[in-house]
Amino acid sequence: MRLELRDVRYVYAPGTPFEVEALRGVSLVVEPGEVLGIVGGTGSGKSTLVQHMNLLLTPTSGEVLVDGVDATTLKKSELRRRVGLVFQFPESALFAATVEEDVAFAPRQLALDEKEVRERVLESLRVLGAGELAARSPFALSGGEKRRAAIAGVLAMRPEILVLDEPTAGLDPATREDFLALILGLRNAGISVVLVSHDLDEVAEVADRVCALQEGRVLAVGTPAEVFYRDPSQAPATVRVASLLRESKPEIGAPVPFGETLDALRALRGA
Amino acid sequence: MKHPGEGTRVGGSLAVSCYRVSFSYPGSEQPALSDVSFELRPGEYVGVVGPNGGGKSTLVRLLNGLLKPDSGRVLVSGRDPSTEPFEVRKHLGILFQDPENGLVAPFVEDDVAFGLENLGVPRQEMRDRVARAIRAVGLEGYERREPGTLSGGEKQRVALAGLLAVEPEILVLDEPTSMLDASGRREVLEYLETLRAEKTVLHVTHHLEELVRSDRILVLNGGELVADKTPERLLSDADLLRENRLVLPVVQRLALELGLPPAKLRTPEELAEAILARTESGTRAG
Repeated sequence: MRLELRDVRYVYAPGTPFEVEALRGVSLVVEPGEVLGIVGGTGSGKSTLVQHMNLLLTPTSGEVLVDGVDATTLKKSELRRRVGLVFQFPESALFAATVEEDVAFAPRQLALDEKEVRERVLESLRVLGAGELAARSPFALSGGEKRRAAIAGVLAMRPEILVLDEPTAGLDPATREDFLALILGLRNAGISVVLVSHDLDEVAEVADRVCALQEGRVLAVGTPAEVFYRDPSQAPATVRVASLLRESKPEIGAPVPFGETLDALRALRGA
Repeated sequence: MKHPGEGTRVGGSLAVSCYRVSFSYPGSEQPALSDVSFELRPGEYVGVVGPNGGGKSTLVRLLNGLLKPDSGRVLVSGRDPSTEPFEVRKHLGILFQDPENGLVAPFVEDDVAFGLENLGVPRQEMRDRVARAIRAVGLEGYERREPGTLSGGEKQRVALAGLLAVEPEILVLDEPTSMLDASGRREVLEYLETLRAEKTVLHVTHHLEELVRSDRILVLNGGELVADKTPERLLSDADLLRENRLVLPVVQRLALELGLPPAKLRTPEELAEAILARTESGTRAG
């Protein structure tokens, strides 16, 4: 599916002294099958923005369109199945006695037969590299395992877009790398992923496009190179290194992911 | 050589000593820490890294007496935190991960004063200490701001000021930047940097790049202290890093791949400069 936000504004607590305009006219498209990175400082509107993607928040003005159709006319439950939202620290919502029971909670609301529910649960866990966790208690898992179990619950709804809000926050670096591989795996399975992250180095590795937010507005949107080379002071380490060399070595180009950057730097040495 | 912990019983010149400390959570088969020994000398800046579940948080809780070791002993400025937790907390302050949880008062200055209010510090001295602490973290002019209106980086600096006002000699930083965005992170690290040499610091983090300037780095994995090394040695030990699920920061990884010394090149600027110097000398091309 293609999800489009058109000139979305959102005001918290309108008409009170606490009124805050969190989104000030955001237009953005999530294309089918892409990884879209959303970056920006604290308070830039990232979390408010993603909650519009399945209408957990309704725009104060502006539109959300699903394949060109006004999302407010769709059944909310169906919209939320198609656009799965995983909040920050989702493991805090784990509750059941086993991982399998926990993951089954949401798909069970879909009036599927038990066999189908079980298939979906096991498939979701497998996709996330957590198949062996099914029978375990979610409370006896490591941080990374808990988070996989929590994401599996959303994945079992077979969403077309999976929105991950800071999925790697608080995880150790090696687990973080595993999660990036998972994100690419989901994309390769045809699911669009919206990755909200304040870790620019990780966005650099997986995003097909990047949207940079600032104070509720889109500061830039485009390929990672287009967005990050605009302002290298707010860019991943690879871009910061390359942009410092560009002035005297323009042949370095505009690499973003680690591998590309390393190749470009090696080519310089040979020059 | 003396065992760590030995000559520290009375008064002791060590800031922190842990001697053969073990701890298991009730009902858990695996010990959270097993037989861990190390020392912090006054003025040292020491990092702690290791995978989730490696024992980092348990160590922090043992240091301020929230947990009591099953065996072995912990001494902080010569005192046992499990028997004198309130005394120890005057000497050792902890900056936690999430600044939201720590801020309690309506205004920044009240928040900074909060820790002092329980210590019986006279009013005037309290004012002086609060003002000094606010200055130390660069928040002059923020005294009457409401903590809720601050950015993540600013909130974490308020929390840091609250610790500094108590004037502990030892600061424990428990993943102090993990909830912050890139600019908030840089901002907090900059103020932590100014505390070097003035304070003894134990800095727990997942980000090795925050520790490249530290004196030593402890690696905790599976409850065991598996390494206690200088950053130079740790960053150039690929096997040790891999075994402990540590990942070199991007700048250091690029340096290593290019055959440059990773521990000497800390920032993108330093790496870019080294690459330029090498391409221009032209002697080591290829």
